[in-house]
Amino acid sequence: MVHRTVDRASTIGLGEGSDEGSAPRRRENLLARPRPPKVAAVSSAVASVRSGWAVYRLPRSLHPVAWWLWALGIMTAASLTTNPLVEGLLLAAATFVVVSRRDDGPWARSFRLYAILGAAVFVVRILYRIVFGGGDGDHVLFTLPRIPLPSVVAGVRLLGPVSLESILYGAYDGLQLGTIIVVVGAANSLASPRRLLRSLPAALYEIGTVLVVAVTVFPQLAESAARVARARRLRQSSAQARSWRERSRLVRGLVVPVLADALDSAISLAASMDARGFGRAPAGSRRHRVMAALTAFASVGCLMVFAYDLVSGTLPSVALGSVVTVHLRDALLVAGVLAALLSIRLSGHGVRRSRYRPDRWLLPELLTVACGFAPVAAVAAVGAGPDAAALSPAILPTLDIPTLPLPLLVAAVVALLPSAITPPAPVATSEATA
Amino acid sequence: MTAGAELDVSPPEVSVRIGARSGAILALASLAGLLLFAWPLLVPSPTGWAETQGAPVVFAALVPVIVVIVLSQLSDGGMDTRTLALLGVLTAINAALRPALGAGTAGIEFMFVLLILAGRAFGPGFGFVLGATSMATSALFTAGVGPWLPFQMLAAGWVGLGAGLLPGKARGRATVGHLAMLVGYGIAAAYLYGAIMNLWSWPTLTGIATADYGGPAGGLDYVPGAPWLDNLRRFGLYTLLTSTAGWDTGRAVSTSIGLVVLGRPILDVLHRAARRARLS
Repeated sequence: MVHRTVDRASTIGLGEGSDEGSAPRRRENLLARPRPPKVAAVSSAVASVRSGWAVYRLPRSLHPVAWWLWALGIMTAASLTTNPLVEGLLLAAATFVVVSRRDDGPWARSFRLYAILGAAVFVVRILYRIVFGGGDGDHVLFTLPRIPLPSVVAGVRLLGPVSLESILYGAYDGLQLGTIIVVVGAANSLASPRRLLRSLPAALYEIGTVLVVAVTVFPQLAESAARVARARRLRQSSAQARSWRERSRLVRGLVVPVLADALDSAISLAASMDARGFGRAPAGSRRHRVMAALTAFASVGCLMVFAYDLVSGTLPSVALGSVVTVHLRDALLVAGVLAALLSIRLSGHGVRRSRYRPDRWLLPELLTVACGFAPVAAVAAVGAGPDAAALSPAILPTLDIPTLPLPLLVAAVVALLPSAITPPAPVATSEATA
Repeated sequence: MTAGAELDVSPPEVSVRIGARSGAILALASLAGLLLFAWPLLVPSPTGWAETQGAPVVFAALVPVIVVIVLSQLSDGGMDTRTLALLGVLTAINAALRPALGAGTAGIEFMFVLLILAGRAFGPGFGFVLGATSMATSALFTAGVGPWLPFQMLAAGWVGLGAGLLPGKARGRATVGHLAMLVGYGIAAAYLYGAIMNLWSWPTLTGIATADYGGPAGGLDYVPGAPWLDNLRRFGLYTLLTSTAGWDTGRAVSTSIGLVVLGRPILDVLHRAARRARLS
């Protein structure tokens, strides 16, 4: 698998788009022939299409933001319906894309954890229904002995009869929540966190620098701890800690030197960052900064009032003329988001920096985002049409069999498409994975 | 926050300065954040709720915006390279402490020790940023990025902020009373952090009971529009059952042990680093 992919990249002459630390051999290829050969393009139209497809299919990592937006679309769709068939299809689509398009970084292995978490949430939701009295509806499946509780916790019921309806409630909710968690996991394992950090907006430059320093320093901590432990072993051969006081001294002897070592290295890191122009103060003017602060203030204020009104529902709709009616709450949301964008843009105004090999936003990225939002469009279309009831199958008073309207099936297949229409993930050689 | 044209000749200070502007934004955003955490208790009547079943989803999308705005305003012109580097290294240590000794081992969590001490030594702004970046980095490492992350960043930021806002002078050798205050704060922060994160996950995990939704009759569900004391009682029972006995107490005990054993030496090391940063 490894050899085949690398060979394919090298025969075409491009090995670009790998993550940090690509193999030296690929870099040579990149330098030698930066563009794919254009010979094929002149021979015939068919060959040109074929070579265009081949270039399109060159292994590279997609822009991390594209994967997150794709996942955001699927999550939105999943949160808008409780239909288990739709949830199951979206779950399957996300899982399939992960399996076919994740690369081999450490983050790519995290998908299993999310799958376990999602399954756990699904089970917990059902168990919760059973434990706290699942007696809604007529179809009682089995009856558990009810546990009497003291009057302090009146209103809480433990165990008792368990009905099909209450288990279905738990299962529908659990599947919805589990799908959202698994899709978050899909974004986590498809998008490299380091490259995601690189695409932070300029206003978060300093926070981004802090995170990059943290991510880079992280492996050195283990080495520092090992060094301190070795030095301590050399000083005293066997540390026998009996009393509490001795034991705490032992911990101190390990923690304090490691911390001091790390902080010292931070000071020298700061000096070298100074020398290379990292983290310098932004050159933005005072006017820009005041404007940024004002818009930030307005944004948080708008969003806060919006949030309060969302749960309390006190703001009225305002009629603008005779046709257009604007709900004040929606206007606040739009104003808040716009002010936030403006503020972030303004506070990043003076920051100028160049990037080494920036992530590109090309056609596959656009297509991926579009595929992610197809389910949202389908859910909205079905919700407005005659099949709206299919989005949330009724459980009480009558138990409906969930149905699957055609647009939702098509949308789930579209959400799956990134596994085919995006270029495959680069498979790093052994030294690049280290 | 001096004017850009003036030459700053004072020795560099390791801190994240909170000026009038960023302080006002931090206060407003904290208020907004508190509202986004505590909304289940604030719904006045079920009428407003009927059309807004999706509030948790909307709020989960709002909090990142607020966190980003606060962080961009806090860092605006107030951080030099020493602060950045120290923040980075302390963040890395916190991120290493969290998965190695944290989750999975019955709530033994030492992250708050360093967070509280650093907030104490370097001030409230530094503490806030350190809390937020620590959560973000450990989420990147354990791949725990999700809708919960911005809420965790905000809550951990408040823990660091509060440590910086405690009374008494931060410099010099810590007295016993000073340490006792930090331990008390650590215990309170451990329980409050657990409770507020539970408050966030409570409506999502147990479900929201409405008229046409039909949660279990005897459950601990969130009931929108019910008197807030009722909901608070249900929530209290929920958090007591799910986490107070295990996670939160574990976090409180390990934080206070860490502060007692390591509080003074770590504060000394942090002060020494601040001195070195000023001199170099």
